[in-house]
Amino acid sequence: MPRWGMVIDLDSCTACGACVLACKVENNVPAVGPAEAAMGRDIAWMEIIPEAKGAYPDVRMRFLPRPCLHCDNPPCIKVCPVHATYLDPDGIVAQVYERCIGCRFCMAACPYTAKYFNWHGYSCERTANGGANPDVSMRSRGVVEKCTFCHHRLQKGRDRARAEGRELAPEDYVPACAESCPTRAIAFGDLDDPGSEVARLSRSVRAFRLLSELGTEPKVVYLTESEEETGERA
Amino acid sequence: MNREVRSEEDRRITSRLFILLPITFCAFVGGLIVWVAHLIRVSIRMRDVPNASIGISLVAIPVFLLMLGVFNYLYWGLLRNRR
Amino acid sequence: MRGLDEARDGHLLRPILGTGRGTVLAMSVLGAGVLFGALSYGKQLRDGLGVTGLNQPVSWGFYVTNFVFFIGISHAGTLISAILRLTKAEWRRPITRMAEVITVMVLFIGAGNILVDLGRPDRLLNVIRYGRYQSPLLWDATSISAYFTASTLYLYIPLIPDIAILRDTVSRRRWFYRLLALGWTGTPRQHKVLERSMGIMAILVIPIAISVHSVVSFVFSMTLQPMWHSTIFGPYFVVGAIFSGIAALIIAMAILRRAYRLEAYVKPIHFDYLSRLLLVMSLLWFYFTFAEYLTGFYGHEPEEMKVFWSKFTGSYAPFFWTMVVCNLAVPVGILSFRRLRTVAGCVVASCAVCAGMWLERFIIVAPTLANPRLGYAPQTYLPSWVEVGETVGCFSLFILLYLVFTKFFPIVSIWEIQEGRTQGVEETVERVRSYLPDTEPASVPIAAGMRALEPKEVPL
Repeated sequence: MPRWGMVIDLDSCTACGACVLACKVENNVPAVGPAEAAMGRDIAWMEIIPEAKGAYPDVRMRFLPRPCLHCDNPPCIKVCPVHATYLDPDGIVAQVYERCIGCRFCMAACPYTAKYFNWHGYSCERTANGGANPDVSMRSRGVVEKCTFCHHRLQKGRDRARAEGRELAPEDYVPACAESCPTRAIAFGDLDDPGSEVARLSRSVRAFRLLSELGTEPKVVYLTESEEETGERA
Repeated sequence: MNREVRSEEDRRITSRLFILLPITFCAFVGGLIVWVAHLIRVSIRMRDVPNASIGISLVAIPVFLLMLGVFNYLYWGLLRNRR
Repeated sequence: MRGLDEARDGHLLRPILGTGRGTVLAMSVLGAGVLFGALSYGKQLRDGLGVTGLNQPVSWGFYVTNFVFFIGISHAGTLISAILRLTKAEWRRPITRMAEVITVMVLFIGAGNILVDLGRPDRLLNVIRYGRYQSPLLWDATSISAYFTASTLYLYIPLIPDIAILRDTVSRRRWFYRLLALGWTGTPRQHKVLERSMGIMAILVIPIAISVHSVVSFVFSMTLQPMWHSTIFGPYFVVGAIFSGIAALIIAMAILRRAYRLEAYVKPIHFDYLSRLLLVMSLLWFYFTFAEYLTGFYGHEPEEMKVFWSKFTGSYAPFFWTMVVCNLAVPVGILSFRRLRTVAGCVVASCAVCAGMWLERFIIVAPTLANPRLGYAPQTYLPSWVEVGETVGCFSLFILLYLVFTKFFPIVSIWEIQEGRTQGVEETVERVRSYLPDTEPASVPIAAGMRALEPKEVPL
């Protein structure tokens, strides 16, 4: 079984936000409105986190596009009381919206704050105008959601490959964020496939994993030349 | 007055209403054991850490059975030793 | 069977026999509080959890705080009552039932708070169908069920002789008391069965109670979050629970004493003894808190220090320092001095402790969530009126349930008071004699020697 992972090159990333927007459009993520967003309830499966180190005038800024890191040892699935979030055989940490009881324990347990809650039943206005993605289910009020590595694209890709009688090719399964990045900073593929770009990049000298000391074994690897990350090389 | 009360009492006690108390408690503990067994089965079927379910059931079920035992001891002990 | 001594203890049945104006007033006020809570929850059911002040990442707030707080209060009853029974502390007699009722009633409220916190309460059955025992929430469910069962049994068993008294003296609801009295006639063999059952439950309930609050603490300590992932949480929460439980019991005792004119039964000495325990728990709580924060500070891990400073000097500082004052300064300041250990002084200290322990739960839950690991700016959490309403509803419902209990059963254990007057005094005299050196020669076995001694031979 493939182990789907992502490599994000922080030295190519311009923090333009195209990945954030593409993800929201692709996955029917509702717009919560300015009032709710001011309260801190914006849902952004892919989020760009600004990190500032040092004080003026020696500030070093870094922008971190953070999807769900799809850990191989996810702290969130351990604490779910109802099997609503689990690690599926493809290595994707899946979310079963219909079973989630909304206890938000997984949200409290995730050290990357990658899980989001639907506080109000925000409606996706695009449905009214026919602009929603029919491949992605709409989440109801009171359940937890997060980045799925555009799992629906994997299913469609597999279906297409099977219909055409061939193996799944790398071009068949590209998440929306990777597809939309103008500097091609996001690479996606099978980490277990030794020939894939993702596997090669994840072994790069510049590679590190966020909060690797926690033992979560995330499958999103970041690349940077910054020397501060020497302790966290993958 | 006490003797009157006692014979009337005997009638009531032999009525079926009293047996509901231990039956309800047995049903509750029985239901709980069934539930824990079901959760063990679910965790085995989903290949999801059955050790946790088994470990906890090894502690929880004896505790509930002990409480059931205490209640039954009390119930039958009181009813038998009325004289 | 030892019947009710009308002249001395008939007073204890008065709340059951009739309802005065004070009770009606209290029930109306509490009913209004419960209604407010119900309306708040109704709004939440209609519009979603968004009506609270919760947000990303502070996704747990008042409701989880209330859950931990009320489960903590539950340690009052059964634990104190069980420990006092096992140590044969004779001063427990008027207060054991008050304590046990607290436990049984407050567990409803505690568990209810988790239901209120769910985003999809209609899917609660999923916990039954798909529950995962790897999750601390399932440990909670099991442990709290066990504790509820144990404490209900532990409340019911010593209640049986009093129910028999009600069956024989009260004319209302006689069928109800007859059913629950289980044919109690007061024969010596029945007494033995009863006492043995009470003894077993008193021993069993203690590890269950400890497991309950340890498991509640595991909800936090099993995550990897800064200032939550700490090994001290299990014992820390248990100590805090016993601490807040004793305070709640003192408050309950004071209110019941005034409302039902129980001054003859619940005396200043009971408050004195309990508040000494409260003082000890206050110092013990402080020791755990100090150890926890010193360890965090000494290690100086950056992510833990973010949370640490948020509590000490940041936005949660007012709550943190109020908590320290309420949990340490006030109880130690009042209860260290015998002259201040009056009923009023104990109640003031206990109210401070209850407030302080609520704040303690709050500053465990919120600051860690508000300061997540990645480079987020700390998020503020302001509770909305819905959460305040739910809290008011919780307190009101708990007190209302307690009040309803006192209308059906005597809140002071009549048979245990009667037993204390005769057997209790005799047994205590014998016991104290057995501790002291006697003047009999060594060849006489102690057990036989005890009875054979003339009072004047024993140096007391």
